[in-house]
Amino acid sequence: MFRKSDTEPTMQVSPSKSQFVAVASIAAELSAVMEVAKEISLAAANAKAIAFRAGEKAKGFQPITDFINELAKETIALVNDINEHALKLYRLTVKEHRMAEACKRFEKVAASAESALHAASLRESLQQTRQRHADCHREFSRHVSELLSQLADVMHPARAARVIAANSRIEASQAGEYLQSLQAVAESVDHAAQIIHDKVHKCRGALSMIGTAA
Amino acid sequence: MKMTKIYEGAYQWIMYGRDPYKPDNIIDTNQYVVRTDKRCLLIDPGGIELFAPMLAAVLHHAPVDEITDLFASHQDPDIISSLGLWDQALPHAKLHAAALWEGFLRHFGCESIQYVPIADNGGVINLGSVELQIVPAHYLHSSANFNIYDPQAKIFFSGDIGAALEAPGKPVFVENFDAHVEKMRYFHQRWMPSNQAKRAWIDRVRGLDIDILAPQHGRMFKGDDVKRFLDWFEALQVGIAV
Repeated sequence: MFRKSDTEPTMQVSPSKSQFVAVASIAAELSAVMEVAKEISLAAANAKAIAFRAGEKAKGFQPITDFINELAKETIALVNDINEHALKLYRLTVKEHRMAEACKRFEKVAASAESALHAASLRESLQQTRQRHADCHREFSRHVSELLSQLADVMHPARAARVIAANSRIEASQAGEYLQSLQAVAESVDHAAQIIHDKVHKCRGALSMIGTAA
Repeated sequence: MKMTKIYEGAYQWIMYGRDPYKPDNIIDTNQYVVRTDKRCLLIDPGGIELFAPMLAAVLHHAPVDEITDLFASHQDPDIISSLGLWDQALPHAKLHAAALWEGFLRHFGCESIQYVPIADNGGVINLGSVELQIVPAHYLHSSANFNIYDPQAKIFFSGDIGAALEAPGKPVFVENFDAHVEKMRYFHQRWMPSNQAKRAWIDRVRGLDIDILAPQHGRMFKGDDVKRFLDWFEALQVGIAV
């Protein structure tokens, strides 16, 4: 059903590309998903107006417009939740980076201060920082899994929207002089759903790579 | 990193600087430590690049859990961009820095360390066996800027005031004031924006009994060179870029 689904190239996260950039890219893709979901909502409002004008000729189209609107609302709500999660993930990325950096520098201090009178006092700080780093790393991995699962949820309304778009085309074909307007609505919904699907797919690909690397 | 003890009494002042491993493209800085029997204050602990050599050097004089206080004269990266790392190493320490810069300095990472805000009129840092005075030096060069005066050791930490730009590895004290002037001139004329602020600072500092004036870059001034510096700075027109 989906033209590019499994063959769509995922957002590239090469080992050299920092986790920061990857997480920020995911946030940017999600922001685009939100915009597209709003477009679907607008398309639903337009379709409703056209169907109302078309009267009996577009009787089958009227309930479809409500479905489209519901799907758009559902997507917006899901993306809002995901955005909060993505923000948490970004903060954790910063925190983890700082701790990793601290561990690295502490190890450097330990190596260069071997002869210092109080060198041993660093041991506890180093252990505590390593522990905090490990905790943070675990928390990060947990958030990646949760975010992956939420992104899977967003795929459902996008898939449903494409089914509805197919039905809309059939109903539009019986709407006489309103055929073109309603077909345009169906195309617009179909296109938006495809974009959402592709973007979410990219996000999942990038997240999986971060999760694997983490 | 070179360590120079500049005061030894019931407590110590130690100057750290001239790090031979410092990357060439970052400005050289002087860090100072006040070490009492149970506590340790790091004055302008430096940038991220300096964190490891600085902590390694301090461990010669104090264990980690006795490094209790940090002071930042102002917000510049060469002063305190290492804060996020100290925050991990010394989660129970206090950072004494301008109230005005709190929201800015926290960008470096300050989740565990307690931020002790300094009001515009200064304050004190009490280390138990010694109480240090925090002296306002606003607009010299930062808009919220502080120096530290130790009346017992007669040491005045002057931040960027008295700083000089010169080649690495130079001596830590000024040896020939007249020859040193040209290494300070542009720095003060360009980084210090206000003649009015400069005059107010000189009036305040002339009233203090100072043996050593210790800047954050370049060399320290001792004895008569302290007065020579104040006279020279008083006559200098600053804020030349407008």
